[in-house]
Amino acid sequence: MAAPLASANLALLRRLTLAALLMFAFAWGLIPLYRVICEATGLNRVVSADGLPKEQAGLSARPVSLVLDATTEAGLPWQVRPLTRLVAGRTGDFIQLEYEITNNSNRRVVGQAIPRYLPAEAAAHVRKLECFCFSQQAFSPGETRRFPVVLVIDKALPAGVDSVTLGYTVYEVPSGQEGRGS
Amino acid sequence: MAMTDIAQAGHGHHGKPQGLARWLFATNHKDIGSLYLWFSFCMFLSGGVLALCIRAELFRPGLQFFQPELFNQFTTLHGLIMVFGAIMPAFTGMANWMLPLMIGAPDMAFARMNNWSFWLLPPAAALLMLSFIVPGGAAAAGWTLYAPLSTQMGMGMDMTIFAIHIMGLSSIMGSINIIVTILNLRAPGMSLMKMPMFAWASLITAFLIIAVMPVLAGVVTMVLTDRHFGTHFFNAAGGGDPILYQHIFWFFGHPEVYIMALPAFGIVSQVIPAFARKPLFGYASMVYATSSIGVLSFMVWAHHMFVTGMPAAAQLFFMYATMLIAVPTGVKVFNWIATMWEGSMSFETPMLFAVGFILLFTIGGLSGVTLSVAAVDVQLHGSYYVVAHFHYVLVAGALFSLFAAIYYWFPKMTGRLYSERLGKLHFWWSLLWFNVTFFPMHFLGLAGMPRRIPDYALQFTEFNQIASVGAFMFGLGQLIFLFNMLRSLRHGAPAPQLPWDGANTLEWRIPTPAPYHSFVEAPQLEVKENGVVVRLSGGRHEE
Ligand SMILES: [Cu+2]
Repeated sequence: MAAPLASANLALLRRLTLAALLMFAFAWGLIPLYRVICEATGLNRVVSADGLPKEQAGLSARPVSLVLDATTEAGLPWQVRPLTRLVAGRTGDFIQLEYEITNNSNRRVVGQAIPRYLPAEAAAHVRKLECFCFSQQAFSPGETRRFPVVLVIDKALPAGVDSVTLGYTVYEVPSGQEGRGS
Repeated sequence: MAMTDIAQAGHGHHGKPQGLARWLFATNHKDIGSLYLWFSFCMFLSGGVLALCIRAELFRPGLQFFQPELFNQFTTLHGLIMVFGAIMPAFTGMANWMLPLMIGAPDMAFARMNNWSFWLLPPAAALLMLSFIVPGGAAAAGWTLYAPLSTQMGMGMDMTIFAIHIMGLSSIMGSINIIVTILNLRAPGMSLMKMPMFAWASLITAFLIIAVMPVLAGVVTMVLTDRHFGTHFFNAAGGGDPILYQHIFWFFGHPEVYIMALPAFGIVSQVIPAFARKPLFGYASMVYATSSIGVLSFMVWAHHMFVTGMPAAAQLFFMYATMLIAVPTGVKVFNWIATMWEGSMSFETPMLFAVGFILLFTIGGLSGVTLSVAAVDVQLHGSYYVVAHFHYVLVAGALFSLFAAIYYWFPKMTGRLYSERLGKLHFWWSLLWFNVTFFPMHFLGLAGMPRRIPDYALQFTEFNQIASVGAFMFGLGQLIFLFNMLRSLRHGAPAPQLPWDGANTLEWRIPTPAPYHSFVEAPQLEVKENGVVVRLSGGRHEE
């Protein structure tokens, strides 16, 4: 092969290798990018305070029932339960409820609760003002604590939805990840 | 620098090396192409056996032969082996064999790297196969290896991840070779906007591979560090997000679909004009369609994720973008049909497979457009409708085009003719049983049968039995192909230089079988669109 051609080939080889390496880096760059996009659009903002709904003129308050639930990730030695399973309230009003968490193990455990809602279209209308899910919770061995949860279901809740389920899944925060994530 | 001698390997030695060394140290593009093709055929048979195990289990509801854990390993490895072991290497092998002949290059640009690209594959395949016998068995998370399933399984998953790394490296090196060969080694007169569509398709596919295989390597590496090194990229408890895995995976995954489809388009664009005895209709629009499919394929990934709770605006964007990508694909189908229009067609085996490809790929494309509608996809997601859809695209698309290519170029590669009678039998057999296997899966999916399960509700029994019978017959038919190839290699009638009177690209202007060192000296060419040779002078070959 003629020398100029061989060096042209090598130059192209280098550029293509560089492109492949950059794409490998790009895959890792997607992690912070994903966080930034979720942050900017509020898509994944499930564990921060929502703030009160704006005054919704023309919408009237109506009765709504709230069903409460909680599950723990397999292996998390906690008992998490709502003190009442069913709360009757009205849209636009403050609704206060309480959860009790017990650490059944003899070690210190840090947990993080993630809320979810059924039906899914209710999610945007449940505004949590106070919740134990806003931060990681550290429990010493055998400790029991009660947490108040304060929320407002705004009046724009779609017609036809008159019962909302709020369920928490509680995960153990691996050691080394404490204080991160949320 | 070591790279210099990579560039210069493969020249300066002449005559065929003999014995095992010829294959182990192969630097000749034809030898490496043959290695790729035989390897991918072995993988095709292995993946096929796994598919038959799946279909045997699904012949009746309830558990017959395999426990659900093993069944999941079968579905996972069937997908991985077919995608990374069979289809992708087969196209790379085809490109290795034919590209230098079609564009008048002496060999691939980096002969020794070419050797490495191939010889990385058998160890990767061995890792995948051996993972069945390690504790916990093979990966069982589906070929997409979704987290958090994939962050939990046994060491079979680690072997799979490592195999993906190796196969990814192999395909990236193979793609670099293809790009450099096409861009730098075309014979004088073979301009980019005149070269064969197969070269165009291979070129764009190679760019796609370089763009997305590193992303796949990255995401499985994240799974690996989540598994063993205490990171929590995809672990919700540690502040990670499993949905992020899906985004990164499908950023690779959708272009991957076109990595397996574009070379098929290229092959069909060579075969149809040859047997319709007409130039390819709309060559320039074919080039632009192929390029725009390449670009668009990066913007549609989230159509695999409509049920992950995306905002409606994002669903709409990905839905319309996906529909948009059907437009250049439709342009291609139109052009192939227009090429056949009023042509003096004859239906030898390659043409049969090419026409079968157009028919069945279009069905697969239309079910794809159906699935792109977000509101419909919510119903069909994860159902057998999806299984039906991508098998129409990958079996009747990629595989049929590969059969067309093998039959079309077999005389040039081997110097012998295959049995036309057996070839036609292979086609009609495959066409019939392919549809018997996969068409009922549309109905199963519409009726709500989920994919990747070893057991199902009673009402799905009949269609599953039809599909299982079809699958075993389809599998049997592939032995016709193997027998035809093996027998024709030894006993086929000697092939003339031009076995197809309508074929007019450069590879048909050299002796048959193709000399071991073709175009040692580049020819002077005058070509028309799609690589049709008008005048050829010079060009020297050596045995
Ligand atoms: Cu896709």
